[in-house]
Amino acid sequence: MRKLKIIYRSGALLAAIIFMQPLFAQTIQTNPATIELQKAKSLWFNTNNGAGLVLDQMKDFTIVNLGYTTKTGDFKLRQQGTREGDINVGAEGGLTLGGGYVWGKISYDNILQKNTQYNTTMLDTDRGMPYYVADPVISDWVKQSYQLSMKAATPKLWNLLYLGIEADYQTKTGAKQMDPRSKTDYYNIDVRPSILFNFKEHSIGFNFEYQNNNQESAPTLSNSQQEQIVYLLKGLGNYSSGVVGGLQGISTYVYSGNKLGGGLQYSYAIDGYKALLSGNYSYRVEDVITAPSKPKMVGTIKDAFYGGNLQLVKAGKDMHKLEIGYKENRLSGIEYVQILDNTFEVQQWITVHSSVRSKFTYKEAYGKYDFFRGADSEYSWRAGVDGSYNSSTDTYLLPHSSMHVKNFCAGLNFKYNIPVDKSTRILAGVNGKFNKNIEASYNYNGADPMSLVVTDFMTPDFLYRAQDYYKAGAEATLFFNISKANTSGMFVKFACDYYKPKEGDGNRVVANFGLGFTF
Amino acid sequence: MKKVRNMKRIIQNIIAVVVASIAFISCQQFKDAVNTSDVRELNAVVKVTLNVGNAPIPDVLNVKLINYAEKYEITKTMDPNGTVTIDKIIPGIYTITITSEKNKDGFTYNYSGNLVNKEIISTGGELNVTVGASKSGALVMKEIFYCGSKTPTGGSYFRDQFYEIYNNSETQQNVKGLAIAILNPNTATANLPVWPGEDAANYVYATTIWQVPSDKDYIIQPGESIIIAQMADNHQKSNLNPTSPVNLLSAEFETYINTTSIISDNPAINMFMAFWPSPTPQWLTTVFGGAFVIYFPSTPINPVDYISPIGSTSKNYKIKIDDVVDAVELVGNPNQVQLKRVPAVLDAGATTVGATYVSKSVARKVKETKQDGRVIYYDTNNSSEDFAVMDVPMIRRNGAKAPVWNTWK
Repeated sequence: MRKLKIIYRSGALLAAIIFMQPLFAQTIQTNPATIELQKAKSLWFNTNNGAGLVLDQMKDFTIVNLGYTTKTGDFKLRQQGTREGDINVGAEGGLTLGGGYVWGKISYDNILQKNTQYNTTMLDTDRGMPYYVADPVISDWVKQSYQLSMKAATPKLWNLLYLGIEADYQTKTGAKQMDPRSKTDYYNIDVRPSILFNFKEHSIGFNFEYQNNNQESAPTLSNSQQEQIVYLLKGLGNYSSGVVGGLQGISTYVYSGNKLGGGLQYSYAIDGYKALLSGNYSYRVEDVITAPSKPKMVGTIKDAFYGGNLQLVKAGKDMHKLEIGYKENRLSGIEYVQILDNTFEVQQWITVHSSVRSKFTYKEAYGKYDFFRGADSEYSWRAGVDGSYNSSTDTYLLPHSSMHVKNFCAGLNFKYNIPVDKSTRILAGVNGKFNKNIEASYNYNGADPMSLVVTDFMTPDFLYRAQDYYKAGAEATLFFNISKANTSGMFVKFACDYYKPKEGDGNRVVANFGLGFTF
Repeated sequence: MKKVRNMKRIIQNIIAVVVASIAFISCQQFKDAVNTSDVRELNAVVKVTLNVGNAPIPDVLNVKLINYAEKYEITKTMDPNGTVTIDKIIPGIYTITITSEKNKDGFTYNYSGNLVNKEIISTGGELNVTVGASKSGALVMKEIFYCGSKTPTGGSYFRDQFYEIYNNSETQQNVKGLAIAILNPNTATANLPVWPGEDAANYVYATTIWQVPSDKDYIIQPGESIIIAQMADNHQKSNLNPTSPVNLLSAEFETYINTTSIISDNPAINMFMAFWPSPTPQWLTTVFGGAFVIYFPSTPINPVDYISPIGSTSKNYKIKIDDVVDAVELVGNPNQVQLKRVPAVLDAGATTVGATYVSKSVARKVKETKQDGRVIYYDTNNSSEDFAVMDVPMIRRNGAKAPVWNTWK
């Protein structure tokens, strides 16, 4: 625990020192629309290959923002809050440096989730980890998250290649507020060194990826007189019983994971046309142990990710951008049979058998097209369509249980950049989405079909995932100049999304208020 | 030329970092995960060896495999002279119990055999179980209230613990010199002590032993019970715990220790403290669930003859398994059944109220009620099967009577 805190604090300090300089050193004025357009144009920026940043010819920019996001409504997963608030502070900037380019981003989130259920120990239940502790007590969660990201590219070396690196560092801490409660710390660091060979209009890139993550979750009680029964989840409603508190209460869960991966990219650029084809593969293994002083395996996941993506841009007076892609995640959950070697000299848990007990497969094909009227420095309006097909197939092998959910989702968006005067803009947009469920089934054949995990957690969440729903959103951003030299501006932003299932009375409203500065 | 050297050095450094990273990333973690294959159903053959002495051969045997961690259970029946193949087994740790019952010549015979915490991780293995027979025990622990209760202000109260011992037989029993002991370890744990000696498995090991006085006979008739109270007082008195579920003034025995003003010497007969190396102000047995045996010592208890587990200096007393009349294993919650302390020959399972200070007890299930109203309770030497949780603890439940010599009842 202490080691985690030291890593987290030193990482935060180091990154803050690194990032502050480029963020505030450059002087070119930008506004939210120019940043949006610049990122859309920058094909390499949207890959894992930082070496390609120079080819994107991005301009220098800095944006600092403070925001508050609130979520309310009961169209949600059980583990989400009936009301959630997120105070966010962040800064992002890009800078041309000695012929290369560096980009960095730092953000801090302070999150309060009201009335969550069935999550005792996880800061992020969607991160691909089926082994964690759950309980039915309605409780708040308080979380803090720090995220630091950077990309850097060298100038062209030996008139042949670029070197680059990307890194993400994320640290989170949080606590559940009602018994059985927990204190959880999490970090991950992801490093992606890269190289890019450029031959006139052809570029070929390769990046390596290594990620390390660690989580420690310590279940505890405020009222030590009242032990709390919890579920030690394994996936699809299967669980073992546990208790928090008492002499045999469950101990700290320690997660330790590593990921290796790589990506290949090829791009072609000529006369305003740019194409970039990229493919990524990664393999992650994460062990979960409990009782670190006498480690006992809880489970292991092995997670293979495959992805491919094609971006096409035609930029001239206006800009067209088409993006299509496919990604697939295959996660397997390994469980262990262990016996305690109780001989005086040994006294440790010995693994006598391990096998894959569960499989979680997620596939997604997606495509989107965006049109920008005006593609020089800022657009006057933009419109886009997007669609995706996703399929999740989860299986618990023995006793056999399964869950299948297939959805098709289509969306439209439009945004208008209204020039109020020379340096004042109102950026107003609307968007809509419809999610159509194509197939859904959940069959539980485990040992305890009447448990709350099945009836009050898995089943309602399955029904949520299998719902047809609409989303309607609107946003408005007012930007104005705040410096005589037109080098810095300020903006205020409001955005709201409304989610409504096709059937039923539930809904979910996500609203965001923010203000920021650009330099 | 200098540029080329720089380029080489940079590329070499990158390669070195990459290679070092790969080497560093717990190769073993990746290897283990990659080499793990999908789970497959297993099967196992159960064979029994009948060691029933003069008891009749049972007609059929009930076979049960329980994986407590996964709440997974398989049941089958088998011929006592045959074998049975159990399939659809998930790899795991199982308790295999074989039970049966037969009535002959007015006696009820229980047949039981078991293997506890047996790993089944490959297919086609043999499970050899020796099945013994016994007439149903005469004296049984009928109800145990161990978890304590809450006071009106939310405090924890533990002085109302009691142990009820019942004559489940057809003949009168004498409890003179009967001992009740709590075994080491006090609470369910994976860290079981290791006992010295070749014959260590022939004993259980007590941390505390109390005895019914040997001054005279204490006869209990069929259908009668005695109550051993930690403190045989009316616990619902205002100075104790008005929300306690029990009044124990009619208890036959108490483990009296005159240490505080709140503990008074009640009408109940004082038990004899036979072995307790480190006494505390009261005989508080763990509210998380201890393991108890009642037995008649075949040799007098001599506290000097204590024994310590390997690597420990704690003082414990050896009890011959053959002396034990009845055993009940209590655990903190259902998941701890797999952390058994009591040998399967005495108790193949465990029972629990699942929490502390919740005013609940465990009591034996009723097997039959005789025409005269006398109740016979299950006694299969498997507390998981024999006991149920009672929402309100009660002494002499189901019409159990107090012995005639209890004049203060």
